Amino acid sequence: MERFTDNEVAKIEKENRSSWFLTTPFLIWITFFFLIPYLIVIFYSVLTPGVYDIKFVFSLESWSSAFSATYLDSITHSLVMSLLTTIITILIGFPVAYVIANASKKRQNLYLILIIIPFWTNFIIRIFSWKIFLSSQGLLNNLLIYFGLIDEPLTLLRTNGAVLLVMVYVYLPYMILPIYSVLEKFNYSLLEASMDLGANEIKSFFKVTLPLSLEGIFAGSILVFIPALGTYIIPQLVGHQSSAFVGQLITFKVKSIPRNWPLASALSFILLILVAVLLLTGYNYYKNISRSKS
Amino acid sequence: MTYRSKLKQFFDGFNVVIFTLILLFLYIPILILIIYSFNDTKIIAGWKGFTFKYYQLLWENENLKNAFWNSLTVATVSTIISTALGLLTALGLENKYFKAKKLIQGIIFLPLVMPDILMGVSIAMLFSFLRFPMGKMTVIIAHITFCVSYTIIVIQSRLQGFDHSLQEAAMDLGANKSQFFWKVKFPIILPGILAAALLAFTLSLDDFIITFFSTGRGFNTLPVYVESAIRRGSVTTINALSTIMIMITLFITFISKPIRKMLI
Repeated sequence: MERFTDNEVAKIEKENRSSWFLTTPFLIWITFFFLIPYLIVIFYSVLTPGVYDIKFVFSLESWSSAFSATYLDSITHSLVMSLLTTIITILIGFPVAYVIANASKKRQNLYLILIIIPFWTNFIIRIFSWKIFLSSQGLLNNLLIYFGLIDEPLTLLRTNGAVLLVMVYVYLPYMILPIYSVLEKFNYSLLEASMDLGANEIKSFFKVTLPLSLEGIFAGSILVFIPALGTYIIPQLVGHQSSAFVGQLITFKVKSIPRNWPLASALSFILLILVAVLLLTGYNYYKNISRSKS
Repeated sequence: MTYRSKLKQFFDGFNVVIFTLILLFLYIPILILIIYSFNDTKIIAGWKGFTFKYYQLLWENENLKNAFWNSLTVATVSTIISTALGLLTALGLENKYFKAKKLIQGIIFLPLVMPDILMGVSIAMLFSFLRFPMGKMTVIIAHITFCVSYTIIVIQSRLQGFDHSLQEAAMDLGANKSQFFWKVKFPIILPGILAAALLAFTLSLDDFIITFFSTGRGFNTLPVYVESAIRRGSVTTINALSTIMIMITLFITFISKPIRKMLI
């Protein structure tokens, strides 16, 4: 603990007052428009649905239906698809990040811009173009027929495969960038040292490069998995109705009539708990690897 | 040794192949949109001949123009407010003896990791609970809420590099606190503030799901309009619209570098 003179204590107190003063507008805003809304979500989950709105009558109906098979299936489906997306983006994103990090400084910037530009196009538009690409009259089917690989158009759209493809497409940059930022700082003398000690390329990759880049893979996984879990628009545009994501169900319950806001609230709350659990386990894991490093 | 370097060559070659394929993968959808925007057909189908007519239809579509202006208004207002809030908060958090700093940093982090859909649902329920009519106002409030954490973090990263001995130097030369802030500190952190504003503006323009939940009947932003057009199946002009939006993005990308250089 540092020791201060009275004069310094007075100065720090003054600065603390100005810190409170400067951060208060943000704190009020975020409390009112971010934190309180979640309390309302919890409150709404124990009320009765109305056709257009909500009835202020206590009921646990929404919780019992949220835990029924239909909704649990959709939560499981969202979890599985998000997990697959995360794994595929790691497998593809790592080599890409590796190539970028190993290029010359000038090339690195060019490659990064090339990765980011498509990302700046509105994402609904990018998803829509996959819809065109994959549709039965679309480019891919036409090309396959043209080259004689198939006779009849394949059903590519409205399948889980299409959803997975587009999710990987949309979330890939979120995986590449954190892995790149770790690899870019990577100390290559470690690799040389491990090879001097007799490890081959493959062994040094698994013993040196991979463990040191875990931090980036981990950050990327959080950035991919969480938004993937809550996605609505991707399965809505390219997925099949029979396998809905939990985000789609929540949206239907809020937006389409008859509305069921209590059920939407209960599902949202379950999603919130899942995200919180993921973040907390992730945070503990992160603390462990950064501790074992130092 | 030769064995090792061959293996390395193989890995490097393999990585380059993957990298090239990924770039192709990232650009396929964009190329398709541009090509199809000139395709003379009403539905999603094969190539039926070259046409400019969808660009003309686009120009005549009043709903679309409205949505475009709504997007710009929402983005401008929410950028200004979220950047101002972000600047104040980042300045307040510079004080390392501030006891609540850790807690506030945690709160700043929350909106960043929250899935958009949860932010959308919760804010929709807030306005329903307050019986507040949903429309332009509620969309702007929602956008400020999800942009402000980003602006704080971007401005904080610029403030981190700030040399505090400049304050003593300015004070020694007779500047008071407000003179020091406006003449010394503000110009130095200005690039960070602009970067934060640019980020907020793009996030606001791009957002669909939170807008979808926080808007009412009759107020559409561009992404919401595009989504409803896709849902209704009236996709003819969407390709042309997308092509224009892609061109604007590319244009901004190319001019932003010289502008950044001019500023820094």
